[in-house]
This record gives sequence, structure tokens and C-alpha cells, in this order.
Amino acid sequence: MKKTSILEDLQKAESHSKENYITFKDVLQISENKKTPLSKIYGVGTFYSMLSFKPRGRHIIRICGGLACHLAGGDKLINKLKEVLQVDVGETTKDGLFTLEENSCLGLCSVAPVMMIDDEPYGNLTEEKVEEIIKSIKEGTKK
Amino acid sequence: MKHRILIAEDSKSLLNRAKEIEKLFKKELEKRNLSETVSVLPTGSLGYEDIGVALVIYPDNVLYAPVNSKEDVQTIVKEHFVDGKVVKKLQKPFKRFSQIEKIMGIQQRIVLENVGKISPEDIKEYIAFDGYKGFENALKTSPEGVIKEIKDSELRGRGGAGFPTGKKWEFTAKAKSDKKYIICNADEGEPGTFKDRTIMEGDPHRVIEGMLIAGYATGANEGIIYIRGEYALSIERLENAISQAYDLGLLGNNILGSNFSFDLQVKKGAGAYVCGEETALLNSIEGKRGEPRKKPPYPPTAGLWGKPTVINNVETLANIPVIMRKGAEWFKQFGVPGSYGTKLFSLNGDLNWKGVVEVPFGTNLSFIINEIGGGLKDNLSLKAVILGGVSGSLLTPNEINTPVDFNSLAKIEAGPGSGSITVLSEKRCIVDVAKNIAKFFRHESCGKCTPCRVGTDQMYKIIDRISKGQGEGSDIQIMEKLGRTMKLTSFCGLGQTAPNAILQSLKKFPDEWNAHIFDKRCPVNVCRLEA
Amino acid sequence: MEEKTVKVKINGKEYEFPAGITILKACEKVGIHIPTLCYLEGVSEEGSCGVCVVEVKGARTLQRSCITELLEGMEIYTDTPAVKEAREMNLELALAHHPLDCMTCDKNGDCLLQDLAYEFNVKKSVFLDESEIYEKEKQTAWDTNPFIQFDPQKCILCRRCVDACENQAIVEAIGIAMRGIDEKVTTPFNLPLEQTNCQFCGECVQACPTGALIEKPRIGKGRIYDFKATDTVCSYCGVGCNIRLYTDKNNNIVMAKGLPNKLVNDTRTCVKGRFGFEYVNSKDRLTSPLIKENGKFRKASWDEAIQYIARKLTEIKNKYGSDSIGVLGSSRCTNEDNYVVQKFARAVIGTNNVDNCARLCHSSTVTGLKMALGAGAATNSIDDIKDADVMFIIGSNMTETHPVIAQIVKKHQKDDGAKIIVCDPRKTDIAKVADVFIQHNPGTDVALLNAIMKIIIDEDLVDEEFIKEHAVGFEQLKEELKDFDLSEASKITGVDLNLIKQAAEIYGQAKNATIFYTMGITQHTTGTDNVLSIANLALITGNLGREGAGINPLRGQANVQGACDLGALPNVFPGYQSVTDESVREKFEQAWGVKLPKDVGLPVSKFGEAALSGKLKAVYVMGENPLMSEPDINRVREGFEKLEFIVVQDIFLSETAQIADVVLPAAAAYEKDGTFTNTERRVQLLRVAKEKLKGTKFDWEIVSEVASAMGYPMHYKNSAEIMDEAASLTLSYAGIHHYRLEKQGIQWPCKDDSDPGTKILHRNGHFNKPNGRGVIHAVKFKPPAELPDKEYPFVLTTGRILYHYHTGNESRRVKVLDEFVPENYIEISKKDADKLNLKDGEIVKVTTRRGSIKVKTRVSDRPKEGVVFVSFHFHEAAANILTNPALDPIANIPEYKVAACRIEKV
Ligand SMILES: Nc1nc2c(c(=O)[nH]1)N[C@H]1C(S)=C(S)[C@@H](COP(=O)(O)OP(=O)(O)OC[C@H]3O[C@@H](n4cnc5c(=O)[nH]c(N)nc54)[C@H](O)[C@@H]3O)O[C@H]1N2
Ligand SMILES: Nc1nc2c(c(=O)[nH]1)N[C@H]1C(S)=C(S)[C@@H](COP(=O)(O)OP(=O)(O)OC[C@H]3O[C@@H](n4cnc5c(=O)[nH]c(N)nc54)[C@H](O)[C@@H]3O)O[C@H]1N2
Ligand SMILES: Cc1cc2nc3c(=O)[nH]c(=O)nc-3n(C[C@H](O)[C@H](O)[C@H](O)COP(=O)(O)O)c2cc1C
Ligand code: SF4
Ligand code: SF4
Ligand code: SF4
Ligand code: SF4
Ligand code: SF4
Ligand code: FES
Ligand code: FES
Ligand SMILES: [Mo]
Repeated sequence: MKKTSILEDLQKAESHSKENYITFKDVLQISENKKTPLSKIYGVGTFYSMLSFKPRGRHIIRICGGLACHLAGGDKLINKLKEVLQVDVGETTKDGLFTLEENSCLGLCSVAPVMMIDDEPYGNLTEEKVEEIIKSIKEGTKK
Repeated sequence: MKHRILIAEDSKSLLNRAKEIEKLFKKELEKRNLSETVSVLPTGSLGYEDIGVALVIYPDNVLYAPVNSKEDVQTIVKEHFVDGKVVKKLQKPFKRFSQIEKIMGIQQRIVLENVGKISPEDIKEYIAFDGYKGFENALKTSPEGVIKEIKDSELRGRGGAGFPTGKKWEFTAKAKSDKKYIICNADEGEPGTFKDRTIMEGDPHRVIEGMLIAGYATGANEGIIYIRGEYALSIERLENAISQAYDLGLLGNNILGSNFSFDLQVKKGAGAYVCGEETALLNSIEGKRGEPRKKPPYPPTAGLWGKPTVINNVETLANIPVIMRKGAEWFKQFGVPGSYGTKLFSLNGDLNWKGVVEVPFGTNLSFIINEIGGGLKDNLSLKAVILGGVSGSLLTPNEINTPVDFNSLAKIEAGPGSGSITVLSEKRCIVDVAKNIAKFFRHESCGKCTPCRVGTDQMYKIIDRISKGQGEGSDIQIMEKLGRTMKLTSFCGLGQTAPNAILQSLKKFPDEWNAHIFDKRCPVNVCRLEA
Repeated sequence: MEEKTVKVKINGKEYEFPAGITILKACEKVGIHIPTLCYLEGVSEEGSCGVCVVEVKGARTLQRSCITELLEGMEIYTDTPAVKEAREMNLELALAHHPLDCMTCDKNGDCLLQDLAYEFNVKKSVFLDESEIYEKEKQTAWDTNPFIQFDPQKCILCRRCVDACENQAIVEAIGIAMRGIDEKVTTPFNLPLEQTNCQFCGECVQACPTGALIEKPRIGKGRIYDFKATDTVCSYCGVGCNIRLYTDKNNNIVMAKGLPNKLVNDTRTCVKGRFGFEYVNSKDRLTSPLIKENGKFRKASWDEAIQYIARKLTEIKNKYGSDSIGVLGSSRCTNEDNYVVQKFARAVIGTNNVDNCARLCHSSTVTGLKMALGAGAATNSIDDIKDADVMFIIGSNMTETHPVIAQIVKKHQKDDGAKIIVCDPRKTDIAKVADVFIQHNPGTDVALLNAIMKIIIDEDLVDEEFIKEHAVGFEQLKEELKDFDLSEASKITGVDLNLIKQAAEIYGQAKNATIFYTMGITQHTTGTDNVLSIANLALITGNLGREGAGINPLRGQANVQGACDLGALPNVFPGYQSVTDESVREKFEQAWGVKLPKDVGLPVSKFGEAALSGKLKAVYVMGENPLMSEPDINRVREGFEKLEFIVVQDIFLSETAQIADVVLPAAAAYEKDGTFTNTERRVQLLRVAKEKLKGTKFDWEIVSEVASAMGYPMHYKNSAEIMDEAASLTLSYAGIHHYRLEKQGIQWPCKDDSDPGTKILHRNGHFNKPNGRGVIHAVKFKPPAELPDKEYPFVLTTGRILYHYHTGNESRRVKVLDEFVPENYIEISKKDADKLNLKDGEIVKVTTRRGSIKVKTRVSDRPKEGVVFVSFHFHEAAANILTNPALDPIANIPEYKVAACRIEKV
């Protein structure tokens, strides 16, 4: 088996978590396995914006704040999302379904404005579309 | 002869439900008992993702777009395959590329030659289109010979800095070490840039082949493709391609019966733009915080785990197979001295058409904007262009009549950078754009060095204040001084380039800044100023 | 070899420098000033601040001089307008979130940031937004400990602290977290520092160029310019760290820093060196002689006390003979003090009954190594640890007891990949990072070492050449081990044979292997055997007499090496010259002008029994606390209570002082000058950091006065004069004089005034034994004196913890230390705790055949199953009520490390 790095261990731990985060227990385990002090692992984990040590929602919404999306009215979408979800950027909805995060550019600039929910990209967004998408995911998850 | 339907299934097309269209086709063909004679396959971007799903039918060379509904699918299957005639109302020309070909007299694309032509999920298709021939040629040559060929091609890195690739390889080839690495930098994170993704999603084997050749030439037998974590489809396509290459013995030990062995894997980023900087990328692969390292030593002599390491951009590596297949001389017929070959650009912003194009170096920027991009949306006039990403440069309308190549652009303090072209119309506010750029760098600064960590923060704060009508007379001067210090003393390229576009905007659009600062007014009414 | 050089131009002038140096170093060399902020040579070289930039012709950007190497032909400009602007700007940026607090900041006057602001005339950063500073959440979550304060607002994120923790302390308790402008220095998950692996060495604080990290105890005591700085030596352990003490206007020591002596601690200290000075200021210090009347002490004048002691001692000597009096020298006191006290015992009292706590510590080292190699001291230097490729650590909890050496050992492992082998019944901190960790049963070291040697011999890893040239006795050892049963050894030691094999192979294959051992080896009834086995291991593999190869018993107390060197031992004069050797005696008789006793005296470990039997009638104790430190103290107390006369010369009213007839107040180490000899035989100079308390006298001064009062005039002007006399009589110290020690001390043997001292003993395999050959001894395993049984099912082992020191007289009077660990505890494994149904922190009764104490449990992953550990620092729960007084027959060292005990819930 290939040796994994601390970062990969963290990514793996997070991907196993329903709440999209790395638990303290995971970190202790990695520290033990890799003979690496906690401070180092904590430093790595807090560096990357896709990693979290705090529980997050079942779905991560990454709304793009890059220039192309900004020009295409991205700000409005961010506000819309905040309104629909009743959270600020970086927060998780009360029902634990969504965490809203901002991304610097999702590399889909030609269909700006865009967002990703988990691994799924959504482009050419409008406020209405955003509302719809959130609604359908909510319903889908409830079922 | 068997027909092939290739459906564009790049990320952007997928969000237009390209997968569903693929399924509908399969169902429809089955219904009509055509499954045996017509195959349905995914392919890369066909350049119509802005309007919907696009597909090509080979060998007929017919492109349909947008194909958005069940009815469209049924029509195509019936008319094209059963009746044998082109569905005129859905047909579109091979828009961008055919036009370039016409105007520039180019016979074919180089880097994107297979994108939209083959299925990226099937190694056999790549091989059928001469895939891995370049690598086979390399194996027949000595490593020195390969390096010579690349040097002769005068290929320069497409990751931004434009470093001669052959020279880079030579450093690593000459470095003595028990272990060497080839790394493909696929961290593409510069706002406005999505060209590497187009290659990886549309023709992943090309990247693998490029890396194999690099490995053979430099004596490295391990490769890593570092792909940003957000690029789920690129990761999937490359992982799939790698496993197919292993299955065919194109990766692993004693490849094609030679003495050459090469292992390759994908590593995922985790959300940090700075990891595109090559030494930060190394730290990230090693599992550390993605902070840049001190240079020298440079990666070609001391890179991953301290071993000699070639780091190349996706596009750079995608150029390699064709050079090894057709030779340096062939390659050099494209482009201009100092900048041979083609360059991919990601068009975005206020254009009529947005997407990735491949043009020969030396193509005029205004041509790219006006002809290929179809000019500005809503017939607005051009205010500025951000070339090479937000770390690149800000150009005014009278600067865009410039050929895009390293030397010509250098004359206007610009460069192809990440290959992004963001077009700003007259309705855009320079202060607002600058603020978005400042915000980006503030968010992506790794924090290691003071000029960038605090500098990007302060830059943002000042612009934010100005955009709110709280600017002060001394702000411009402070920004200039701050910008100079960031450029001159930041530890890595991120901080060094962060103030570029902003400083240029101060120089090129002083009136607009002054209006915000002194008149407390946004000339285009984008910023909300408190009086 | 010719050194490569490069030619460069700096500010237009041509220079030539050795290749490979940085621009900063080059400029320093030629006197060109370049300001720096984040750079800390050898510790933190990240290049983060951008203050040291210079212009290099042709470069697109300015270059960081601190990390940029000179290249041939470089043209460097250090003072262009661009350089000036950039430096100033970066300083402004560093100050963007920094409060303008210099007026109330403890760092005022000792702050690099402030110095630079002054240099660049940055009054107030153009970026400073005061509202923001005070809004920025003051993150104090992790600095709740008593030692270190962190003020994030003053932090400029230079990373010196983090790098110091990583590269000097080798702990990595703190790190950099978050990214960009949110970046901060913090513990993992913002845990309180005390919940991390932090050792409170304070290396981070010392590295901090601003007031962001600061020692809590100094807060409010003054600014640097209010203090007097004195360079001296730490008073605790035998590492002998060079420290700088700061004394305020009230004659209180308020702060300590590690000095950059590269040969010893290189700026490091441990928590005791950095925070443990406060005892010197304690209100409990003795400041007047005390005489006991009707069971109660009363103050007395010096004159009265001295006369009284002189009269009583003379009386007893006349009535019972000189050998009815015992004298204790002290490894807490200077060489000069000890020279005087042993001279007092021999020349004035007329007895060789003089000893010191080295008896309880390394007497088996002295006997064992003397038998094997001819000298009982550490063979190597701290400085050549870096030359070892294997470090074999047995019975030493160095992270807690010789913390700075442990840091150096860990650094060598981390930086150079040297291997660490640890053998200890407890999984100590150093065991946690070991490449091989052998957790054997207490008291089974001979079996373990024999097994290792058997494997080394079987696998042909012996150094035939070395043995042939430099050793005798190998055949006997081979014979002894011929039928040695490895699986039996595995059973005795309780260790998997594979692990033992690994250790044997790593040690056996090493080019240079060094051994560190301490009390886990020495404090046994088989202490001498243990030491002989260690010597065997080094001899058969030829690991002696070179840099990085040797045997290094780490000496315990700050001056235990010196107390022995200067003759505070019952069998030898200064310099280990035997009292039974006629010619030696004659030399001293001539020098001291009196007849000297011929017979070897009593070791301190027999004082108790001798008192009980009536053989001993009086003791004079200088700086020891036997009523806490001897094994089975209840019995020792019984003996001491039978004595007719006890004098205790101490700085506190110790347990022993409390039962004394006369107590004499001495000056403490930081109030003295004189010398300490550290574990690597380095004689180092103490300097007076604070004036001695009114009412106290120097130890040598007190003893001299008693001697004079007893009719033997001793009138030394100062400690330097004492050392000169000692040197004239002691070959190994012959070249040691105070004036020669100013810089960095000298390692003995030092035979004359031009001798630079001796870094390595037994160089080229030459031993102080017949024919210059080391002696290999065939040693058989013997079990400890007391083994667990049904009634006492656990093995109790005793020792130390990081934060306290011995009988606690000092460390428990240091507020921060005592607050941090206020009470004793018993370390017990999870399995044993479960078996006894004990929870963590529960109070239990621990009983041995000698007595019992009550302590809290600490359920831990450290002790081996069946083994429990108690420290002997706490008088409230004194471990030595429990310990077994059985002695090693040759060294007379007690078996502190094995006793059978029982644990009960209360
Ligand atoms: N903080 C602090 N530091 C000190 C001192 C102090 O009091 N406090 N005292 C100083 C003095 S004078 C001395 S002598 C040194 C002592 O320093 P050390 O010898 O390191 O300290 P100890 O705690 O006595 O015991 C050392 C180790 O021996 C292990 N051990 C117990 N039994 C055995 C055994 O049978 N075999 C082996 N191999 N190991 C065993 C214990 O588990 C323990 O980890 O420390 C010096 N440094
Ligand atoms: N159970 C158990 N017991 C042990 C050990 C063990 O491992 N386990 N280890 C043993 C070992 S290795 C040692 S070294 C001994 C230590 O045993 P001791 O030396 O008896 O212990 P200390 O606490 O160091 O006692 C020193 C005394 O000197 C005083 N003092 C300090 N400085 C000065 C000074 O400058 N002048 C004078 N006059 N007095 C001063 C202190 O106040 C204190 O009372 O303990 C031994 N006892
Ligand atoms: C902040 C920063 C981000 C970068 N991001 C990328 C990137 O996403 N992809 C890339 O190929 N190069 C990126 N680079 C450039 C790389 O450091 C490096 O020059 C490049 O990968 C070399 O490849 P090439 O020689 O093929 O151009 C970045 C540089 C900086 C300073
Ligand atoms: S310039 Fe910015 S990204 Fe680069 S090292 Fe400095 S803080 Fe990090
Ligand atoms: S840390 Fe230094 S600059 Fe800051 S307030 Fe204290 S003395 Fe002044
Ligand atoms: S006190 Fe020592 S161990 Fe603790 S954080 Fe500071 S340097 Fe690290
Ligand atoms: S606490 Fe001090 S040493 Fe650490 S980063 Fe901040 S200013 Fe630097
Ligand atoms: S290691 Fe020893 S000498 Fe050094 S500071 Fe700590 S107690 Fe003092
Ligand atoms: S700017 Fe939003 S995807 Fe690139
Ligand atoms: S001192 Fe050189 S960068 Fe800070
Ligand atoms: Mo000791």
C-alpha cells in the first residue's frame, strides 16, 4: 500500500464523516500513526479551506466569489443563499443540511455565476435557479 | 462504417445535463435496434456549453447543439441515422475552430486536437488517434535526445512564468539522485482560468503521455498529478485513465518491454490557491501546510522530498506528445520566435462567447476578443481586459491591439499568465473590480510573509473603504507604496503579483479612483457610496 | 583543504567571502548593518518579515539577506531608496495590528520591534486602526498556565517561537494555524498549553522578539533596564546550563534566560532553569543561625552558634573519637565549598566520614567504571552527541531529569537521523520517540544487557580489533554467555526477544554509539554489576574513546560531579586520590599541616545504621536532606534522633534541619561565586546574581569559621583562592583557576595552566588501568533484594518528575512550579488500575514492609503492567517512607528503584 500523507489522511477522515469534518479522535489517530505532533496536523487542517475541524452540513455549498462570477452578479446569489438558508458564509443551517462557503474561483467562469454543491457544479445561475436547487436537494434528502 | 456520437461531457456541459442526453440516446438507439452500429461516448468540451449540450457525429463530422430535450434526441436518431440526413435546425458549425483555421491558415489544433473528437474515458480511442506514439518515439530515442528535441522546440512553460521546458528537464536529468519525480501542476485556481480542466476532462491520456516522456527524459520514475480538490471530474477522468494505462502496461514496470518504469498517481488539493505555486505544491503533496519554500534550491534539483523534481503545467505537458510525434521543426511552424506553438485562453467576462480557445502565439488579442469571443455582450464598449488572471495585468482598449506572445506582451508589462482573458465592459467599475481582486488575494495569501499577509489585507481594506466613499487623499500614494513593497519583497509569486492589476488600474484609470475618493461617487454606479 | 571563496561587491566595494554564507552574514562580517526581525540563527530562518531585504543587481525583486546565499559576482546594495522604503513599509505592516503599548509593556527596552520602529522612525503605522486592535478578540484560550503569557495583539507572526519549539525544544507544542490574515500562533485546537505536550521550557518565550510571549512571573516586576544581569550556571541538574539571571532593585531574581554557549545548552533551559529561581527570594529562607533549646529553635548570633558548634564537636571528638562524627558535603554547593568541607572533616575533625548525595546516585558508577575503565565519569561531551549515530538510553528519564540533553538528543535524531534506543520500565517521553523501546522489568538490566551482548557476539558484531588492543576479560565474558539462554532472558526481562535483537543489532552495527544511563541503572543492589555490564557492552563493540562513542552516566545534581572530584567522599581525597595510599596521604598531610586518618570512612547510606548502633554520635550536614532522601526514612530518623549533636547548614529549615541542634543559614547558589562541574566534567563559573541575604554566609565561609574556632585556622579571602589551593593538590584540576573559566569553562582532566581541558576520556582506547586496557567483567544476573509477592504484589519504583527537584526544598518554594504540580501521585497502568478498580485521581494507600503513604492515582500509559511509580519530592507523601534500604555491596547505593508494595483504596 502507498504511504499516505497527513493531508491525505485528513481528507480521508473528512470524507468518511457524514458531517463533513475531521474529529479530534481522527486527529489523535493520525498523530499516533504518523508520529506527528498535534500542532502540525492542526496547522495543516486549518490551512486548507476544504477541510474542517468543526461539524458542517451534510452538503457543502461552494458559491463562487471569483471575478467572473462577481461580474455576473455573484453577490446577489450569495445574498440569496444567505436568505434562503438563513446563514452567513461559513455557517451551517439549523437543520444541519447545508454549510455555505465561498470559493475563490471554481474554474467554471464561462458559465458564471456558478456554485458547487458537494461535487456537483451548477452554472448560469439566477436567484430563482438557486432557490429551486436548494429546494430540490432539501426534498431529495428528506426522502 | 460504425457511427460514433460524441457528447460533450465536460463539467460545464454536465451541468446542462449532458449525462441525461447520453442516456436518452442509448435508449433511443436501442429502441431502433441501432446499438450495434452507433456508439455513444462522452467527449470533452465542444465549445457550446454556454447554450446547452453539444455533440458531434463521426465520421460525418456533424455538430449538433444545443440538444436539450428528448424530442431533440429522437429527431436526431430518426433523421440522422434512420433517414440519413443532417438535422439542419440543430446543426452548428465547428464554430471557433473552423474560423481560426480559416483565418490563420492552421490545419489542426495541437493541444486540444482530441478534445471533442475522442472519448476521454477510453484509452483505445486515444491510441486510435496516435496516442502514446510520441512516447514510443521517445523510447526509441535516448533521454538526451528527447531533451534535445524539447529544447529544439523551444517550448516554454504554460503555467505562467514561461520557463523553457527543455532546460528545466535538463536540470533534473543532470541532477544525480536515487529518486526523481515528475509533477503535473493541475491546481488551476487563478480566477478566470479553466483551460487545464478542458484538457484533463477531454483528453486525459495526453497528460499521462507527456509525463511519461518527461519521466523517461529526466530519469524519473514516479509521477504525481496534483489536481485541485474542486475538480471532481478531472480527478475522475485522470484516475480512470491512469488505471487503463496500467492495464495496458503503459504505466508500471518495464513499460512496453523497455527498461523504463514509471508509476503515476493523482493527489487532490484541498482548497488553497497558493498550492499552484510550485514549492507550495510540493509541501502540499508532502502533506504539509501549502506554504512556499525558499528558492533556491529550485525544484528541478531539490523538489519533492528534497529530490530532483520537474513541475510542469498541464498544458505544457499536453504539448509534449505531439512534439515527440511530429518533431520540433513541425511544432515551430506555429507561433512566433520566442513563443512557439499555441496557447489556450479561457475567455470570460462581458463577451458574447465564453470558453476555451487554442490560438497560435502571436494572435492579436483584439482578434481573440472580437472575432473568437464574438465581441462584447449587448454591443457595449470595452473598458479593460484582465489578461493572465487577476495576478496578471490590466489592459486598456488601446493596449489590446497586441499579439499575444511573451515578447510582445512584455512590452506592455503583461504576459499570457494563466491564459485567462476577462473582458470588462464600460459598465464595470474599476474600483469594484480592484476590490474583488484584492479580496481574492487576501483570502488566498498563505500568511507566511508579512508583506503579503498584511499587505493583501490592507490593500483590501483601503479599496473597500474607497468603494464605500470613505477614501482619503493619501490612499493612492499609500497603495502605490504598499504595492511596490509587496512586489519587491513578498516571499513568493502570489504576493509579488497580487498588486499588479491594482497598481495598473491606479495608473490607467486615475479619474475613476479620484471620483470615488474625492467626489464620493461611482461614475458607473456600481459602488454604493455613503455620501 | 582550501576553502572556496566568492568575490562580491557590496555598496560598490569589493570583498571576498567564504562560499555558502548568506548576504546577512557577509555584511555582518564587514560591519554593514542590516536590520532583521524574524531571523534567529540556526533556529528560525523562514524569511518571513522582509525587513532584511537588500538590492541585488539584476534581480527582479529585493532579496532577503538572512536566507540568501552569496553568489560569485553578486552586486549588493544595502541602502538604496527602494531598500529603505521596503524595510520601512514591512515594518509598518508588522505594526499594522500592534498596539502602541510600549509605555506599559514589560518588553519595553528589550524588544526588537521597538528597536526597529525607533531605527526607522515609525511612530504609528499608517495602517494602524486602533479600533481594530482592540476589537480583535484577545485570544487567551491557550495561555492559562502559570508560566507563559501570550498576547496575540503583540504577535507579529515572525514564527520564531514556533521554530524554537520545533528546532530547539523539539516538542512542537505550538504551531502556526489558519491561513493568510487569519494566521495565528496557537496550540492544537487552542487547547490550554498544559494540555499539550509542552514542557514549559520557555524556549519560545526567549525566541520571541516582541512582548507577545512573556514569562508570567516577571510581569509587572520591571523592564530590562531596571534589572541587573548576571551570567551564571543553573543550580538544579547536572547539565549545567549557562543562564543569565535578572535581578530587580529589591534584590529579587525575576527572570532567567538561556545563554548561547554552543558547547552546553545553546540558549536552551528547562522549566526549572527558566522559572525555578524564585526559591532564592523565598520568605522561608534562613537568615539567622538557630540553636535548639528545650526542643525549640531560637535565633542566635553567628558568633554564639559557631562557638557552640566548635565546643560540642570538640567535646564529642574527644569523648568518642574522630570517627564518631560524620560530615556531609553537598552536590548543591560549589567545588570550593566541598573542598573546604572535606578538608574540615579530615584535617579538623580527623575522620574520613565524609560523603555526599552522590552516594545515593552514582556511587555505583564510580565503582563500576573505575573497575572497568579506571575513571568514574562521563567519557564524552554534550557537544559530541552530534557525532553519535546511535544513542542508547537506559534507566534515564532524560526528558524530565536532564531536559536540555534530551532536547539535544532529540534534535540529533530529528536532524541527522541518529537512532534512539530506550530501555526503561516506563514509557517515558524519550521512549515515545525511540526507534526501539524496550520496556523491561525493573531490576533486570544485567539480564537484558547480557542478552544484548550475547546477540552481538553471536552475530559477530563485536569489535575484535578493539578488544585485542584495548581490553582484557573478553574470553571470560564469552564463556559466561556461552550457555546463556536468550529465551530465559526474555522471560526475566519481560521483553519480546525480537525487540532485544533489534536493539542489539542497531547498537552493534553503529559506527559510533553512545550510552546514556542514570538511576535506573545505578540505584540497585546490583548497581555496580549493572554499570559493569554497560562497560562490557561498550568495550566489546569498541564504542569508547571517540567523538560520539562512549559511556555517559548523566550526573544528577548541579555539582555532584564536582563534590566527588573535590573529595567529599569517604575513600578519596580531591581528585580521587585514595585515603589509604600512604604517599597521597603524606602529600595532603604536608599541605594541610596535620596528621590525616588512614581508614576509609562511612558512606552516607550507612549513617542511619551507625547512628542507631551508637557508632556515630554527631553529624555535620552541609546542603543535604537525608531525612527525606535516604531510603526508609523512618528508620534513618530514628537513628538521627539518637545522635548527640546535629548541625545542619542549609538555606531552608529542611526536614533534617528541623531535628538539628544548630542550624546555620547559608547563601544560595545564585548568591555565590565559585564553580560547579557539570555532567561532562566541565568546570564552570558561578557569579553573584544577587547579593546574599542579610544574615547568611557562604558555605565555605561558615565551615572555615567552625574550623578556625576548633583551632584549625582557615582564612580564605575568596572562593578563587580555595580553587587555587585545591588545584595545587589535584592533578585533574591542576590547570583550573577562576580566571581561566570566564568564557566557557574547562573540562577536566586539565593538567596545567595551558591545558585546554579534555573533551573525551580514554581517547584512542587508552584506559587508566594496568597496561592501559579496559577490563571486561563477566557478570551474572541477580534479582533485586525485594520481589513482589502475594502480600505486596506490585513493584514500586521511585524517581523524579520534571517540575520538582528532590526533597522539594527549592522547587516547592517556586510558586509557579508548586502551583503547577502541587501534590504527589502514583503512576499506575490502565490495566492495573482496572484490576484494582481504581479511577484516575482517586486517593490510595501505598504500603511496603517499611510503611505507607497516601497519594492520588494517575492512570497512565507510562508504567509497565505490575510497576508503579512515585516521586520523592513531596514531604506530605514521602516516597522514602516506602523504599528499601538494601545496599549494593560495593557501592553502598540503596535500591531506590525496586520495592514490593501493595495498593489499597481508602
Ligand atoms: N526534574 C528533576 N530533574 C532532576 C532531578 C530532580 O529531582 N528533578 N534530580 C537530579 C538527580 S540528582 C539525578 S541523580 C537525576 C536522575 O535522573 P534519572 O535517573 O533520569 O531519574 P529517575 O526518575 O530517578 O529514574 C530514571 C528512570 O529509571 C527508570 N527505572 C526504574 N527502574 C529501572 C530499572 O530497573 N532499570 C532501568 N533500566 N530503568 C529503571 C524509571 O522508570 C525512570 O524513568 O536527575 C537529576 N535531574
Ligand atoms: N526514593 C528515592 N530517593 C532518592 C532518590 C530516588 O531516586 N528515589 N535519588 C537519590 C539521589 S540520586 C539523590 S542525588 C538524593 C538527593 O538528596 P539530597 O541531596 O538530600 O536532596 P536535596 O533536596 O537536593 O537536598 C539538598 C539540600 O540542600 C539545600 N541547599 C540547596 N542549596 C544549598 C546551598 O547552596 N547551600 C546549602 N548549605 N544548602 C543548600 C536544600 O535546601 C536541601 O535541603 O536523593 C536520593 N533519594
Ligand atoms: C500563486 C501562484 C499560483 C500558481 N498557480 C499555478 C497553477 O495553478 N498551475 C500551474 O501550472 N502553475 C501555477 N503557478 C506557476 C508554478 O509555480 C510553476 O511556475 C509552473 O507550474 C511551472 O510549470 P511550467 O514550467 O510548465 O509553466 C503558480 C504560481 C504562483 C506564484
Ligand atoms: S507572498 Fe503570500 S503566498 Fe507567498 S509566501 Fe508570502 S504570504 Fe505566502
Ligand atoms: S512588544 Fe515591543 S513594540 Fe510592542 S508594545 Fe511591547 S515593547 Fe512596544
Ligand atoms: S515552553 Fe517549550 S515546549 Fe512549551 S511551547 Fe514553548 S518552546 Fe515549546
Ligand atoms: S509570539 Fe512572538 S515569536 Fe511567536 S510569532 Fe508572535 S511575535 Fe513571533
Ligand atoms: S536542564 Fe538542568 S541545568 Fe539545564 S536548566 Fe534544566 S535543571 Fe537547569
Ligand atoms: S470566477 Fe467563478 S468560476 Fe471562475
Ligand atoms: S530577517 Fe530576513 S526576512 Fe525577516
Ligand atoms: Mo542524584
